[in-house]
Amino acid sequence: MSQRIVVDPITRIEGHLRVEADIQNGKITDAFSSGTMVRGIEKILRGRDPRDAWAFVGRVCGVCTTVHSLASVRAVEDALDIVIPPNAELVRNIMFGTQYIHDHVVHFYHLHALDWVDVVSALKADPKKASEIAQSISNWPKSSPGYFSDLQKRLGSFVESGQLGIFANGYWGHPAYKLPPEVNLIAVAHYLEALEWQKEIVKVHTIFGGKNPHPNYLVGGMACSIGLDDVSAINAERLAYVGQLLEDAKEFVNQVYIPDLLAIAPYYLDWGGIGGGLGNYLVYGDLGANGYRDPSAYKFPAGAILNKDLSKVHEVDMRADAEIQEFIDNSWYEYPADAKGLHPWKGETDIKYTGPKPPFEHLDTKQKYSYLKTPRWKGNAMEVGPLARVLVGYASGREDFKAVVDSTLQKLNVPAAALFSTLGRTAARGLESILVADWTLEFYNQLISNIRNGDTRMANMDKFDPAKWPAKAQGVGHTEAPRGALGHWIVIEDQKIANYQLVVPTTWNASPRDGEGKQSAYESALMNTPVAKDQEPLEILRTIHSFDPCLACAVHLYDEEGKQVSRVKVL
Amino acid sequence: MVFPECDTNYVLVLGVGNYLMGDEGAGVHVAQRLGERDLPLGVEVLDGGTGGFHLMGIFEQYEVIILVDATIDGEPAGAIRLLEPRFASDFPRSMSTHDIGLRDVVEALQITGRLPKIYLITVSAEELEPMTIKLSPAVQHSVGQIADKLHTLLWDWWRERNLASSAGETEDFLHTFA
Repeated sequence: MSQRIVVDPITRIEGHLRVEADIQNGKITDAFSSGTMVRGIEKILRGRDPRDAWAFVGRVCGVCTTVHSLASVRAVEDALDIVIPPNAELVRNIMFGTQYIHDHVVHFYHLHALDWVDVVSALKADPKKASEIAQSISNWPKSSPGYFSDLQKRLGSFVESGQLGIFANGYWGHPAYKLPPEVNLIAVAHYLEALEWQKEIVKVHTIFGGKNPHPNYLVGGMACSIGLDDVSAINAERLAYVGQLLEDAKEFVNQVYIPDLLAIAPYYLDWGGIGGGLGNYLVYGDLGANGYRDPSAYKFPAGAILNKDLSKVHEVDMRADAEIQEFIDNSWYEYPADAKGLHPWKGETDIKYTGPKPPFEHLDTKQKYSYLKTPRWKGNAMEVGPLARVLVGYASGREDFKAVVDSTLQKLNVPAAALFSTLGRTAARGLESILVADWTLEFYNQLISNIRNGDTRMANMDKFDPAKWPAKAQGVGHTEAPRGALGHWIVIEDQKIANYQLVVPTTWNASPRDGEGKQSAYESALMNTPVAKDQEPLEILRTIHSFDPCLACAVHLYDEEGKQVSRVKVL
Repeated sequence: MVFPECDTNYVLVLGVGNYLMGDEGAGVHVAQRLGERDLPLGVEVLDGGTGGFHLMGIFEQYEVIILVDATIDGEPAGAIRLLEPRFASDFPRSMSTHDIGLRDVVEALQITGRLPKIYLITVSAEELEPMTIKLSPAVQHSVGQIADKLHTLLWDWWRERNLASSAGETEDFLHTFA
């Protein structure tokens, strides 16, 4: 007999995701992932000034507040053939790096850790033992027995008060939690320290973007002026402060995040064989050491891997009509009669909801069942995100990627095959954080050196005036958002946006199956996942959270009832 | 609490919501309206958008936060409510799209012991319409009302705090709002 479990909404993500999974003999036999709120940014953009698009798309989401704005200005610059000054590239890269580290740390501690860390168990820890473990894995100063014992007392009062959702609403005591109490205590300590740390690092966005959230971008460069002695510009003091924040970020990644990851992983090595899914990976690439227009010098190289074959990295062309296409066989949209898959330049966003009227018990997964379209690369379902980036970097033979990956495999004493898993995905996020923290400092040093040499150019306004634009133009802008490959495609006609399509990372990962019945990444990764207690599907959360879902841009949503539901029905 | 020196940040009016989803963006519209007007020193306005965790550092810089956000609470569109949430769990359930959002920020501030006094002004929406940045007429009207009312109250408050010899408690703030 099989049971269908509904987890709706999946908590600790941005946005609204519903997962339905069929379970037989304690394992998932089929899974359906559904974005249940409509998206429509494309419609808002039509007819607007392309130079304003970044401000609208930046509003899509509060988590990756900058990535959409970045992809947007790049799409417009691509369409109009605008080359931006090196400093603007560097500032964009620094903001990108900041976004990454912030996002990955917050994801690890605040959205994902509680899938592995049992908060209540931490109350049973011996603070002295916790201190010994902490000191054995890192030089981080906050590690005395007194520190852990004070923290334990605070934690006790949080749990007792029952007022704090994060400590109250967990599957505490679930048999799938395996960490000793002391490791749980260390992780909770760092959960709290990460809260304090994260609010500092985002100041980099305020400094370069003028404001945060939703910092300013500019078609043609960046809207910040550099003046070393100017009190109202980004001056020497502000720049030094950015440098300090980036150093602090690097230290937090290397002294807290990574040691914790390596301390937790050995207890969950079975998850190195669970949740792998597709085995196809897609990366658009980003962080150009020689500017965005030179992909050969990208820190994150572009490419695709098929069937876990790391011996071959395929080239990806975002402009080719037959490569990236979106399908709607299982999505609540309507295409022109003869259309099957549409390249984003020709994309359509005509919503046609045919699902059950909410509130409903179950989706009819034999019909259309999601507001997410189904993107495919050359017909293949692809996973995007940290694991894809780390694998493409590794398979491209890059020494920096090899160094962090090989040393981690060695420390955990697992084969490379363990990368293709839930654990691999979570580890990859940490490994790329190490790299990004280093690269961001490189970009920062380059920026300082340019400024010292007298180059303070931040924008190229030669083509800002629409009178200089062709009557028709189209462009594509991409970035590697923390959650994966992000592309914006724009068509400009008569100085206005004629079409605008976003294909966002979570759409690649969370989309419904395609017309041939091929699952996308979430659904595929959930197959065969063990579920010990159907009322507390912790294992589903582990794999879904390992992708770091962010549905806000995949779909715009609201939480109709707001209740966390996990319903079980015997089929 | 006595109103501090004028050069200190004291009150922040923080409008939040998704500007791209019609009435869901009501808080942002209030912030934009109020931001165009003269306000007492020590009072600032911020369009928090869908800020989430990014807002945590901002919360810590003020003694009082006046949050303005849309909600779907079964009330007719445009209904205005003033709440004084003490815990994240006091926030109305169906607030907006920002899931890793205000509740988490409030909870995090509670954990770190830095939660400022929070007032929450909600505007009821009946339907969140995606694909528009326009407000419904009822919510549009309420946005104007809230901006006007806050403008008046903030000035009244400022005058009272600066002129009266016996300063009241912040708890009284906004008591005439509703």
